[in-house]
Amino acid sequence: MTDVLFPALSEENPDAEGVLATWFVTEGSAVTADQLLAEVQVDKVSAEVLAPSAGVVHLLVEEEAAVPQGTPVARIE
Amino acid sequence: MTITEAPQATRRLTTSKAMVEAIAQEMDRDPSVFYLGEDVGAYGGIFSSTTGLLERFGPQRIIDTPISETAFIGLGIGAAVEGMRPIVEVMFTDFMGVCLDQIYNHMAKIHFESGGNVKVPMVLTMAAGGGYSDGAQHSQCLWGTFAHLPGMKVVVPSTPADAKGLMTSAIRDDNPVVYIFHKGVMGLPWMVKNPRSIDEVPDGEHTVPIGEARVAREGSDVTVVTLSLSVHHALDVAESLAPQGIDVEVVDLRSLVPLDRDAIVASVAKTGRLVVVDEDYLSYGVSAEVVASVTDRDPTLLRVPPQRIAVPDVPIPYAHDLEHAVLPRHDRIERAVRTAMGR
Repeated sequence: MTDVLFPALSEENPDAEGVLATWFVTEGSAVTADQLLAEVQVDKVSAEVLAPSAGVVHLLVEEEAAVPQGTPVARIE
Repeated sequence: MTITEAPQATRRLTTSKAMVEAIAQEMDRDPSVFYLGEDVGAYGGIFSSTTGLLERFGPQRIIDTPISETAFIGLGIGAAVEGMRPIVEVMFTDFMGVCLDQIYNHMAKIHFESGGNVKVPMVLTMAAGGGYSDGAQHSQCLWGTFAHLPGMKVVVPSTPADAKGLMTSAIRDDNPVVYIFHKGVMGLPWMVKNPRSIDEVPDGEHTVPIGEARVAREGSDVTVVTLSLSVHHALDVAESLAPQGIDVEVVDLRSLVPLDRDAIVASVAKTGRLVVVDEDYLSYGVSAEVVASVTDRDPTLLRVPPQRIAVPDVPIPYAHDLEHAVLPRHDRIERAVRTAMGR
């Protein structure tokens, strides 16, 4: 089981909040390693979140939700 | 919190990622393909048309240019004439005014003027469209202008899969192809959210033939012929009217040159009612051409007068409410469909 974290996009503010802009996978779908899972955004900077390993993905955060960076947004089993 | 939803096989991309995937695959396959334009390198394209390509292919093949469209389109034409397959980006269709001579007198006419001896296999990409308060000089579509001028193909994808397939076909085409992407279909996180800009995209090689329209939604009552972002709006309207017993067929042109007149006529032959939705200017443009495609062939197919929903021949306002008033959005499309149905 692997947690997928919201990436640290802001260096000067470790507690910065970001938005989970887009999910590219749905709850319970099978993913391969390095598959695109989500796009996240802090201010105007966006970044891709890739699957760290293969497995079945569980989404922990809804699209459009604001979360502090470093928060687990998905879990891969 | 866990979101529960039925599991499904997914390999979804935004339109911009699908477009980039096609460019990358063609660059892998063919060393003569390269990309140049303003902010296409380190920035990745201001509307994410080239994200990640500089890191992957280096500055010899992903080239940031100075702000001189005439010079760098000319560079692309020269490279194409000598056998390369350049993709040249003009940041906004609105900027065509500073470089139109290179586009319509050179890129589009060299093949003709050389008696077919010289080919210009280049792609000219441009971002188009409004809806996000960027003002009158950064919100135009203008695809009708390129389609009006002979010698170049014009494609206008609306979905991620078509963005990939049409880009692949455009790069491989021996003719100059103008590839216009609406900013509102790219799936950019900082733009207006558009759920239809993320969808399944075929893995590996994927081509879409240039000149073939697509029936985006089948219906029996009214044909809506449209393109680009307006396809998404028309589908929204079609879904909202379905429970009221109005069955809308949505035809996505995908390509303006060549124009799939057979697909337009076939749909109107079925429904007898035509609404054309175009985010370009109303007069002398795509919407009239679509109507003429039917009336040239058989005006008796139309049971009610055709309607054209487009930008009413005014510059596009900056003010949000005024801009939305001139754009062909859901309210105007729905009114036109209801008028066609007499309800």
